[in-house]
Amino acid sequence: MTSNNGESVGARTCVASQFFKDDKAIDMTTSEKVVDLLNQAALIATDSKLTVLKQVQELIINKDPSLLDNFLDEIIAFQTDKSMEVRKFVIGFIEEACKRDNELLLRLIANLNMLLKDESVNVVKKAILTFTQLYKVALQWFVRSKVMSEMQEACWDMVTQMKEDILAMLDIDNDGVRTHAIKFTESLIITLSPRTSDSDTPKRQEGDISLDKIPKDHPYIRYDTLCEEGKSALEQLLKFMVHPAISSINLTTALGSLATLARQRPMFMSEVVQAYETLHANLPPTLAKSQVSSVRKNLKLHLLAVLKHPCSLEFQGQISTLLLDLGMSQNEIARNTPAPREQRKRPRIEPYSDGKKLKMEPVLLEDDDDKEEPVAPSVSKPSSVPAAQSAIDLTAEFLRPLLSPENVANLVLISMVYLPDVMPASFQATYTPVESAGTDAQIKHLARLMATQMTAAEIGPGETSKDLLIKRKVPVVGQAISVVGGGYTEKSQLETPQVKRLPEPILPSTQIKMPGASGKRKVFRLADVVQPFTDAQLEKMTNTAVKRILHSEKAIAQSGMSHVRVKLLSRLVCQFEGIMMDDVLEFILEDIRTRIDLAFSLLYQEYNTYLSQQPAGLLDAYDHCLFTLLAGLQEKPEQRDGLFTKLVLEAPLITESALDVIRRYCEDESRVYLGMTTLKELIIKRPSRQFQYLHVLLDLSSHEKEKVRSNALSFIKRMYEKDQLRDYIEKFALNYMQLLVHPNPPSLLFSADKDTEVASPWTEETVRQCLYLYLSLLPLNHRLVHELASVYTEAIADIKRSVLRVIEQPIRGMGMNSPDLLLLVENCPKGAETLVTRCLHILTDKVPPSPELVERVRDLYHKRVPDVRFLIPVINGLEKKEVIQALPKLIKLNPVVVKEVFNRLLGTQHSKTPVPSSPALFTFLLMEMIPPTSTATNLCFGERNVYTSEVLAVVMQQLMEHSPLPILLMRTVIQSLTMYPRLGGFVMNILSRLIVKQVWKYPKVWEGFVKCCQRTKPQSYSVLLQLPPAQLTSVFERCPEMREPLLQHVHSFTPHQQAHITASVMTVLEANSKQPEPEAMRPVMAERKVMGSGGTHVFCSVCH
Amino acid sequence: MFKQVTTNKCISLSNKTHQKLSEWRESKRGFDVRSFGTGSHVKLPGPAPDKPNVYDFKTTYEQMYNDLVRKDKELYTQNGILHMLDRNKRIKSRPERFQSCKEQFDLVITCEERVYDQVLEDLSSREQETFTPVHVINVDIQDNHEEATLGAFLICELCQCIQHTDDMENEMDELLQEFEDKSNRPFLHTVCFY
Repeated sequence: MTSNNGESVGARTCVASQFFKDDKAIDMTTSEKVVDLLNQAALIATDSKLTVLKQVQELIINKDPSLLDNFLDEIIAFQTDKSMEVRKFVIGFIEEACKRDNELLLRLIANLNMLLKDESVNVVKKAILTFTQLYKVALQWFVRSKVMSEMQEACWDMVTQMKEDILAMLDIDNDGVRTHAIKFTESLIITLSPRTSDSDTPKRQEGDISLDKIPKDHPYIRYDTLCEEGKSALEQLLKFMVHPAISSINLTTALGSLATLARQRPMFMSEVVQAYETLHANLPPTLAKSQVSSVRKNLKLHLLAVLKHPCSLEFQGQISTLLLDLGMSQNEIARNTPAPREQRKRPRIEPYSDGKKLKMEPVLLEDDDDKEEPVAPSVSKPSSVPAAQSAIDLTAEFLRPLLSPENVANLVLISMVYLPDVMPASFQATYTPVESAGTDAQIKHLARLMATQMTAAEIGPGETSKDLLIKRKVPVVGQAISVVGGGYTEKSQLETPQVKRLPEPILPSTQIKMPGASGKRKVFRLADVVQPFTDAQLEKMTNTAVKRILHSEKAIAQSGMSHVRVKLLSRLVCQFEGIMMDDVLEFILEDIRTRIDLAFSLLYQEYNTYLSQQPAGLLDAYDHCLFTLLAGLQEKPEQRDGLFTKLVLEAPLITESALDVIRRYCEDESRVYLGMTTLKELIIKRPSRQFQYLHVLLDLSSHEKEKVRSNALSFIKRMYEKDQLRDYIEKFALNYMQLLVHPNPPSLLFSADKDTEVASPWTEETVRQCLYLYLSLLPLNHRLVHELASVYTEAIADIKRSVLRVIEQPIRGMGMNSPDLLLLVENCPKGAETLVTRCLHILTDKVPPSPELVERVRDLYHKRVPDVRFLIPVINGLEKKEVIQALPKLIKLNPVVVKEVFNRLLGTQHSKTPVPSSPALFTFLLMEMIPPTSTATNLCFGERNVYTSEVLAVVMQQLMEHSPLPILLMRTVIQSLTMYPRLGGFVMNILSRLIVKQVWKYPKVWEGFVKCCQRTKPQSYSVLLQLPPAQLTSVFERCPEMREPLLQHVHSFTPHQQAHITASVMTVLEANSKQPEPEAMRPVMAERKVMGSGGTHVFCSVCH
Repeated sequence: MFKQVTTNKCISLSNKTHQKLSEWRESKRGFDVRSFGTGSHVKLPGPAPDKPNVYDFKTTYEQMYNDLVRKDKELYTQNGILHMLDRNKRIKSRPERFQSCKEQFDLVITCEERVYDQVLEDLSSREQETFTPVHVINVDIQDNHEEATLGAFLICELCQCIQHTDDMENEMDELLQEFEDKSNRPFLHTVCFY
């Protein structure tokens, strides 16, 4: 062990001596010095850190190893240093420390294992080198200890594992790491095989452990296992070497390793020579021309080295042939061939594979310290030819007699077909003219060459033997052709699947060309043998790949990896810039409820892409994605799960087109509420763009669909309560209302599909459109009413009419106590009179006017606009005197208006609170009205619910007590009687009292009296009999037909009753019973004519 | 970073190559170049191709310099030999023989196949100890002034490229192929182990 390091230790002491000088100068103990250095190392840059650490290593390993244990942890801590060089140093330190103190293996092997998996290949390489050394150290140490602790066992297990790991690195991607792994394998094979007498062991490795020093009775380390491991390592190495795509450096390394093996373990010589032969005949087709030269040069070098070994004797023929092929002269070969002399007689150690014979003898023989070669039982000839050897030999033997000139010629002709167009580099480099064609030796050589090929291809009689060491598992055709190489061969070999499985050597980048006239060979490059896919193929494969991921939903969900799938899909789709987007979106929409995760992932991924490309990024893809999702949701039957809202609210950004979809959603009557709720949430939760969203909602407030509109309005009303939105809403409403001043409705009011070229006139509908929003805000903000007034004055008549129609609801909502409304009444802009009047009407429609309102109206009427119509709404709030003043003017208005006036006066409009004074008022009216106003009284009688029989009775009573008697008294009586016949008794009473009042003095009343009596006969007979005779005569003059019934009535009286009838009356009754009739009729007719149209009208209506 | 060797077969080449590499070494730290001979003697161009000046490896540059000044100062000034010796003697006292150097290198570059063989033979005859790999590259360069200049630049460029690789061993093959194509010279390349 020490001899191993002899030289390097010497070098180190030189370095160390400097530090020792420092030591003395500062006069520190080594320990203090180490602490100081370690402290420095923790703080300084990599370069100086390495220097300092090397000093520490020097101090604690070489100067004062007792400190090693103390500072071990501190040094090892640097294995996580970010500098690769420092980590490499730590590996070197581990090696030195473990060699110095084997016990440390137990603590450090795990660290080495970690470093073996380092991310830097350089660290890994260093770790492999160190492990190559430490494997032997560890084995030796464990073998020495007869009893192994648990820790030691664990340590050995780890060493074994690491060994396997490094062997596995033969398949790693990195060329350099593979090179190191090959060297490790070499060292491992040597360690795990027995050193024999003819081993050509370097002096330095004299003391190294090898299989023959492993005791068979070791408690933990099994001889057999190690032996098997060694064999399998050799197999791996040989297998590695025949890989057709091996890199030239790996091949070179392996060739060197084989040479070392052959010399240090001659038992493997047969395999080695076999491998060389195979390689020579099958140079990897991937090698470039110069690489072929390099490899051949190496092969030559190593063959020579093997040849020089005494044990090469039995292979001399093969080696010489190879060397000749490689261009070495016969002389040179002879010079390097060891003299056969005693070697021939020297015993050949039993082949390693023949384990049983080997088992005891060498161990026993070497037990003593005798370095002298023990004389083993002599076996002049190898007792068993190695199996692989025999396979080729058998095949060669089989072939040899077959190689007749004819057969060979046929073979050549057949092979011509497979020859490449141009001579391959490897062939050109290898080719030497056949000097001895046709000789026996040459035929034998040819047979052997072919046998090698056939054995590698696993054909031929030799193949029947099973234990072949070297096999090239490539198709026969490809194999055969690889001898001559060429493009065709390359392809066929590379297309075999096993190429992927095996370590892939470095692939140089320049383009391969078919070997040209120059015969120059280009190195193998992956790029040359793989055809780039066409765009269509690529797209198709991409598509199918994504689809597979897409449709593996269930399977992935079961494995709990859904989130990975979602992430993967969204990333893929984004990266492919939307090729797959539509498919995925469609897939999502098929069942968006369960795939909403994917939807969001996609959205956010797209948005992220957009952000990452700021400021030039385009939102198109994101927009498309969001739009499709929202639109897809919209097209689906109604869903109550709020996915739409969720999608909108959680989307990172709402684009214009997305907003359009939301708008369409709002316009869909079945989803208007959901849509608007979403919109509302947007407005509230996304303040930065809230006005944009609000605008949509406002726009919808004039929508043609009532449901949409009313929903929008109710949402806006709620928004209106928010200060930050209030101004915007108000402005919008007013702007919209302002449209009314245009002579024609602006195009804004029409949906896009309507033809806006033609200037259509305002319609009720368009006017309403402009006002919906305004009117719904009005009750919330009364101040707005003034704006209406100013617009109103400017608008055309059609609009005015529409406005008057639509304002009822909001004005009523404001109430007559609204200060702004009162102010409007007070100011009443010019041109807005009708508006104000309308407002007044609306306000007082159901409730009597408030004193304030009456005051304003009165004020307006008297001071500014003397239009009596203003008074109508508040008429029942006015003083009696004012009413009387106004009445004449009112009555001149058209009948409809008059009717309304009276309705108001009579309180019929406010049915719930009838005005108590109405009968009195009515009485008054009846008294005061000049004949034309009978129209009015007539109206009153229409209101039967107001003018009940009781009321009429009172009215009649009052009228009768009036002096002089009102003209319309009798008409009222007759009308009342017509309406309520049960008033008959009461009327008789009235009539009687009228007689007392000498009714005949009022010709008009008298006429009615008679008429009434006429209508109420026979009840009226008793009243008639009360009349003085003159008046009775007058009655009969008017109605002669009454006399006879009355006379009969009197005759039916009892004598006692008749006694009350005065004689004069009787005279009137009985006298001029016949003659006066015709004359009597005429005055009545005349009288009727005199009464004029008014009277006629009254009576006609009564008669009906 | 890594140690590198160029062995020279003729002075003019060595001169150019070494000069380029020295310049580069000054600008880039961590690049360690050494020059060696492999033959049994040191040969410097003489007045005719068949009359070289031959010294053994014990002779110092100083002695060679003085010897040549004495022989024909003008000739050896003109062909740059004196300049080279002058520079060399400031770097080390005498030429070194590769086979005698026990230091470990990462890369050895030779300029003639014969030298490459010598290096290989030497390296493989040494006893393996650490298994640290050393890559040996040969670029054949004709023994004339023009070729030597081109070769110097080529080698220098190769070294720079190798220096710039992240993982020399993994990229070497590819790099050499590129250089081979570019320079239209065959490169020999192998790996040995210390």
